[in-house]
Amino acid sequence: MNNLKLFKRQSINELSTFYSFLIGFVIAIFIGSIILLVQDKNPIDTFSLMLRLSVGSINSLSSSLNKAIPLILAGLGISIMNSVKLWNIGAEGQIFLGAIAVNYLYINTQFNSPTLHIFVLLIAGFAGGSLCILIPAITKVVFGVNEIITTLLTNYIVFGITIFLINGPWKDPKSLNFPAAAYVGEEVFLPTIFGKLSLGFLICILFTALAHYLKNKSVFGFEMRIAGGSALTAVYAGINARQKAFIAMLIGGGFAGLAGAIELLSQTHRVSTGISQGFGYTAIIVAAITGMRPLGIFLVGCLFGALSIGGSVIQTIGVSAYISDIIQASTLFGALIIQFFFTYQIKKVEND
Amino acid sequence: MKQYILEAKNISKSFGNVRALEDVNFYLEKGIIHGLLGENGAGKSSLMNVLSGIYQPEKGSIFVNNIKQTNLNPEYASELGIGMVHQEFRLIESFSIQDNLTLSKSNIYRDDFKNAFEKYSEIFSLSVNPEKTISELSVGEKQKIEIMKLIFNNSSIMLLDEPTAVLTPQETDQLKNSLKRLSEEDEKTIVLISHKLKEIREFTETVFVMKNGEMVAENLLTENVTDNNLIELMMGHIKKSVIDKSNKVGDAKLNIKSVEYVDKVNNYKLLDNINFEIKAGEILGIAGVSGNGQVELANIISGIQVDYSGEIFINGQDVSGKGVKSRKKLNLSYIPENRLGVGLAPGVSILDNSIVKDYFKTRRGPHLSKTKTKTYLENLINTFSIKAPDSKAEISTLSGGNMQKLLMGRELISKPEVIIASQPTRGLDVNAVEAIHNLLVDQRDGGSAILLISEDLDELFKLSNRLLVMYEGKIVKSFDINNADINNVGLAMAGVIE
Repeated sequence: MNNLKLFKRQSINELSTFYSFLIGFVIAIFIGSIILLVQDKNPIDTFSLMLRLSVGSINSLSSSLNKAIPLILAGLGISIMNSVKLWNIGAEGQIFLGAIAVNYLYINTQFNSPTLHIFVLLIAGFAGGSLCILIPAITKVVFGVNEIITTLLTNYIVFGITIFLINGPWKDPKSLNFPAAAYVGEEVFLPTIFGKLSLGFLICILFTALAHYLKNKSVFGFEMRIAGGSALTAVYAGINARQKAFIAMLIGGGFAGLAGAIELLSQTHRVSTGISQGFGYTAIIVAAITGMRPLGIFLVGCLFGALSIGGSVIQTIGVSAYISDIIQASTLFGALIIQFFFTYQIKKVEND
Repeated sequence: MKQYILEAKNISKSFGNVRALEDVNFYLEKGIIHGLLGENGAGKSSLMNVLSGIYQPEKGSIFVNNIKQTNLNPEYASELGIGMVHQEFRLIESFSIQDNLTLSKSNIYRDDFKNAFEKYSEIFSLSVNPEKTISELSVGEKQKIEIMKLIFNNSSIMLLDEPTAVLTPQETDQLKNSLKRLSEEDEKTIVLISHKLKEIREFTETVFVMKNGEMVAENLLTENVTDNNLIELMMGHIKKSVIDKSNKVGDAKLNIKSVEYVDKVNNYKLLDNINFEIKAGEILGIAGVSGNGQVELANIISGIQVDYSGEIFINGQDVSGKGVKSRKKLNLSYIPENRLGVGLAPGVSILDNSIVKDYFKTRRGPHLSKTKTKTYLENLINTFSIKAPDSKAEISTLSGGNMQKLLMGRELISKPEVIIASQPTRGLDVNAVEAIHNLLVDQRDGGSAILLISEDLDELFKLSNRLLVMYEGKIVKSFDINNADINNVGLAMAGVIE
């Protein structure tokens, strides 16, 4: 009798993640086209319009890249945590708490130098994100509580806190009853570098390099990989696995918190529910598609930023913006399936 | 002719090129406790798996109540009343005791659960509420429930694969009485696999002995056979050592003084008053069936386990209270029994795994030098002739032998003064075993003090200068290798000490 069995491939092409992303993206465009066809829209026209309106001019390109900033930063945070084989589903909450921390500090402090002020506020955002993941981190390393559940749940808690603040203590009387905090002053707006592109994008490049160093070049990254591979090996090697997991979680949360700070200081300029439009969740897709590689997260983050700008502008021709969500999600699906075939091969074996 | 409730004739079974069972005969009398004795890998578990329908033999026939059974599968075997308790528990942890016991469709006490549970709780000296979930039970209680499950499934033939391995001496005593009562009152036919002669002697009426997949003794009356006979059957003859043992021996490098380690949960001494020393250029072998404290001993010396009492000196320095890292700095290497999972981290690259011991040497500040790391691995690959084509590939892409060579190489390259090698050749092919033995002898000649923990007596006799036998957490006997007799070692391993 013959049976089909899976075998792990001896060596995996280094670019396999990239190829699976490309194939996944093609599959996603194909699925998107079918959905457009069902709605009697011409896919070629629609996609070329999306392309033109998301990267066709300095203005649209800079909007796209601005959208990419939170995706990239939160995605990097997720990838750092993944070095210890932990999943961060709480980037969304961390983004919000980062923004809340920024606003809190803004309200309660005075600085003479705007540069220093912005700098301090960005650090506050990072700290806010770390604070958000502190409880999941403690419960993880002390009690072994599954971090997927706790980080997910903190999203709801933080969202509740946000709603409370913008309807209560922080509510802006000038906002015509729209639930939002007061705008921050123009002196702390992040400067733009070209077109509408904010300085946040440079921070993003810097942090991509930082994450790459931390994950792939540093001793800490090595210790995280060993601890993630096997806690017993870590103990055997004298590596404190819990400590590495704890620090990785705080850094991961901090990256997402920084995204919230940049979003507040460069885009919304005030705390409202609009601080994040699901960036924390899309960031999971971005990180997963790239196999948790910082450079890949940067590139795919940019692409996904452009996709969501493209998605919002094609609403003007009567196509739902959800088409870009569908493409993002199907890319992940396609890429994961293709990655499977890069990792395993299927062989016929004789039954014993 | 005697009537047998179960008879297996000329059973053969192989896995790939490995012969697990060769022409094995086995037969059971109703209402009697039979012992099945043999070293690890002798084929005892394979035979049990054939009888319970899990493995299909290539040759041979099985008769249950004189009816020939073809196509025996687990479901059908259980209908025929053959039940097996495996070495690992097969209970559903999150279910209650009652649900676990009444799970199977061949259950006979579904309607009368309460009375039956009371009756057998008494026989097994078990006092727990059947509503309790399995995960709340102690290991000993779980083992009792496992055996009770066979009774509830109406098994008349109970195959127990090393049920006492996880039990404390008191629990083993209780089990003995329970099994005796089951065989007398319920006429259960029982097969008990064990390594311990004492248990075979106390539990069983007749005994079978296996060696290398063959049945070397059938149905001996336990009371008529001597311990020496059994050991000789089990161990056979051993090749005499070919390695020169006249190398120079230096000062003591490792001293262990009255080390004790207590399992706090069961308040049970896993290590009891361990004393020994190893000199430079000496290999000290520790013989013993696994689970007699060897893993704990290795973990304590290497610093993984620090809550022991007693003293340990490495190179004359007291290391009590010191962790893994500071002991490594004293040039101690540990080759753990569990290759993949402890010694090597699965899912992590070969490159990363190669520097687990010495990564502080390949670092530059907070930075891990790529060139240094690569050179380090290349050096390992060349020195120890490891076949590792792609250093970025996961460690699990290597063969077992190459994995072990990488692990040994990593631990040995720095010429350690003290080496703990735990089961270094388990599961490897002949060539890899030879290579690993040579590595250890080279280290010995270089002046290392080596603690070799193994279950393989051939290996221990070949490599060791001296031999200690561990049994139930104690060192029960010590041999100089030139005067050591394999049968005496075997007796000590099985817990017989004159």
